[in-house]
Amino acid sequence: MLNLFLDIDPPTIFNAHNNFQTLTTYIIGALLAGFGILFALLKAPPQTRRGIVFFVTFISGFFYVLLFIWPSPINRSKGDAPINGFDNVGFWLADAQPVVSTMTQIIGGFLIGLGIFSLMRIHLKRIVKGGGDAPFSFTLVLSMILMIIFGFWDFHQRQQPGAGPLLDNQANWGFVNYAKDYLFDGMLQEMEAAMFSIIAFYILSAAYRAFRVRSIEATILLTTALIVILSLMSVVEYQWGEMVNSVAGGNKNSFVQNFTLTNVAGWIRASVQQPSIRGIDFGVGIGLLAMSLRIWLSLERAGE
Amino acid sequence: MKYELWKTGSSVLATFGLYSVLYRENKFYRFFEHIFLGLAAGWTLVVIWVEIEKDQWWGKMLGANNDAGTSMVQSGYWLYAFLVPIGVMGYFVFSKKHNWISKIPIGIVLGLYAGQQFQAWLQRYGPQISTSLKPILPTTFTSITVPDNPVPGEVYFTQALTNAISLFTLLSVVAYFLFSFNENNKLLNRLSTSGRWLLMIGFGAIFGTTVTMRFTLLIDRMHFVWIDFVRDMLLRR
Amino acid sequence: MSIGEKLQSLPKWILFLCLIVTASVLQFFNIPLPNKPQDPAIDYYAFAMSIPPGSTVLVSSDWTNSTHGESGPQFDALMRILMRRNIKFAVYTTADGQAPQVAKDEIRRLNEQRVKDGERPYRPFEDYVMVGYFPSAEGENLAMSINLRSAFAGKKDFPEGAKEPVDIWQSPVLKDIKDISDVKALFLISASNTDQIIIERLAAKVPLVYAVTGISAPQNFNYYSSGQLKGLVGGLKGIYDLEYLMTSGVNHPGADGKIAVASTRVPGDVPPLPGRNQGLGTAYFPTLHAALALMILAIIIGNVGMFMARKAQGASK
Repeated sequence: MLNLFLDIDPPTIFNAHNNFQTLTTYIIGALLAGFGILFALLKAPPQTRRGIVFFVTFISGFFYVLLFIWPSPINRSKGDAPINGFDNVGFWLADAQPVVSTMTQIIGGFLIGLGIFSLMRIHLKRIVKGGGDAPFSFTLVLSMILMIIFGFWDFHQRQQPGAGPLLDNQANWGFVNYAKDYLFDGMLQEMEAAMFSIIAFYILSAAYRAFRVRSIEATILLTTALIVILSLMSVVEYQWGEMVNSVAGGNKNSFVQNFTLTNVAGWIRASVQQPSIRGIDFGVGIGLLAMSLRIWLSLERAGE
Repeated sequence: MKYELWKTGSSVLATFGLYSVLYRENKFYRFFEHIFLGLAAGWTLVVIWVEIEKDQWWGKMLGANNDAGTSMVQSGYWLYAFLVPIGVMGYFVFSKKHNWISKIPIGIVLGLYAGQQFQAWLQRYGPQISTSLKPILPTTFTSITVPDNPVPGEVYFTQALTNAISLFTLLSVVAYFLFSFNENNKLLNRLSTSGRWLLMIGFGAIFGTTVTMRFTLLIDRMHFVWIDFVRDMLLRR
Repeated sequence: MSIGEKLQSLPKWILFLCLIVTASVLQFFNIPLPNKPQDPAIDYYAFAMSIPPGSTVLVSSDWTNSTHGESGPQFDALMRILMRRNIKFAVYTTADGQAPQVAKDEIRRLNEQRVKDGERPYRPFEDYVMVGYFPSAEGENLAMSINLRSAFAGKKDFPEGAKEPVDIWQSPVLKDIKDISDVKALFLISASNTDQIIIERLAAKVPLVYAVTGISAPQNFNYYSSGQLKGLVGGLKGIYDLEYLMTSGVNHPGADGKIAVASTRVPGDVPPLPGRNQGLGTAYFPTLHAALALMILAIIIGNVGMFMARKAQGASK
């Protein structure tokens, strides 16, 4: 059924209704049916709930598992038709995937709104309650409302006939565009940069206080970190190379040339560091795969 | 210029407001922190409509989008209306009684994510595994180290040694991950211990690059304050 | 309190002040540094320079100002290469809702700079398109690998002088693209985990060229060495290398006849890029040296303090 979303010719019951009135009727019908299902779910007996969630999760995951294991059409061009039922499934899966992806984006969009809703709820409660935190919550809600107003208003202006490319030039900006630019570029982006840069201070402080040569592991960690840091300082790298070169008497084929920082750091990176990080990556990957399997089969009980 | 000065000036003020937490948490910091959170949340809401729902959902449902690459207006796909109740189900997370319903849209998204992981794993790690498997025995002893003009296909002693060290590191680290619980096998235990040490080399590298990244972000902020604002805007006015 | 203990307990404000001073002072000076670009950056530059003018590439712009220090100059350098070589590009993001606006603002600034420098402005819709944001990185990148036209369906952008936004597939950037294999490369500027998501879904379909933050550079180095990436720029060192290469080229004799960067990995002469090449990477690199030196010094002081304190404790026992 999903690939019917892609067809516009011949028209089907799913897409034929360019006529606004008919389309609206169908949309209202779909909404009513959808909310009807939601209402029915509210009445679902407790013992069936786990099964419903399992079914939905399994079917969703199964689509991609099937897409992976089912042979897909090779070098398919427009107008190609499936030659048998087996082929038909391959065509269907390939056609349905972008639709499934779009639906994921849409549902994902709705779910992102969940976070905003939750934030709003907490801070509105705080404002109503009053107390020491209320002014801060008010600041948050006000900033949010201002950003929503000017964000949408700026977008709306850019959608007006002929306005889009004109507003790319600052000379054509009006109050709304300046306000949106100030809030987004002047405040949000710069504050984000400031927030993330604060960590540098804590890293320095933590390294000074905790980076001690107390055990074999700590010594290895410290030595590797220092070699990596030094290899990223091109002045040190260059001077070290010059020193090694003078020891080698300028002979490029001398064995001593293996001990330039570039070569030492390069060897450590290629022979130990990279396989080690690859090992970490494999470990995480295996864990992720196991976790995915548990999620797909609803074996993950976290939060229940 | 006046607008730029005002905009950059207040950005610098906000930066110092946020940096004031380095002294200790204070009202000045909390004020800017809440502005930041509010703006970020507000922008997310704008993006949800402008970048996602408007074209991907509303446009497709009402047939407002052009078909890809043509000027033909698509028909409306009314079935997209079904996604509204599914999205609404997510908001039942706030209901004590019907909390479980929110697991349906979350289950759909997680299920779709989990289903992709099997193929994704193979594509990501397949080439990594084959790259890791290099010859560990030398095929020639004409030179111990790799000469300036190596014979193609030949494996020299130092090359084989490096490959062996790489493979040993990889196996040790993976063994540490997979057999970190108490195992009676002595070989596995030793492999796992050496894995822990070799893991430190990986973490050391990650630490080194993390430090450079964080310092770069701070340098960028200082550039914004001293060069972009103080030097270029205030002193050169 | 012994000297050892004192060395171990410097107040944090002294450390913070030292860091602020170190991260600020050198920025007022232009200090040229010797450099030996690393192989991944050489491959990045050589690959970008090998793309034929007029062809189309994808740019996954997955960063915001939170990592501006690294991702900003990476994005600028890539844009300079693509714009000067007249390579068309489509910008999309699967990481952050703020990213499309950040990319738009950055392109606007670069265009203003180009006009000042006497170069033609890069035109929206004709030379590049903004595809926008997709919240499901996994689904979208997989959809792109299966059917690029469907994956970007419904997205619109403004041609110059147009009254209404037009479907991006009608733009000269994308109109000849049938699927992902028609795209010459996918350039990623990432400060999130989209580096892995894209490798998992698109590595077999299109050449991938990455610019990532320092924190994810070690992991991506593995993907580079296994051939899954055609080139890699990691962190500030990577961007300094790239800006250096844009100025010197690879295996390219300079005005004095000397080759500044020689590499056996790259066949032939890869010329430098004419025009303004040195950006924030070059500006920040000397300061990074000072900040890292401070870090090393702080670690040494802490450890010396620890040994002195231990020695003093041993002597008192």
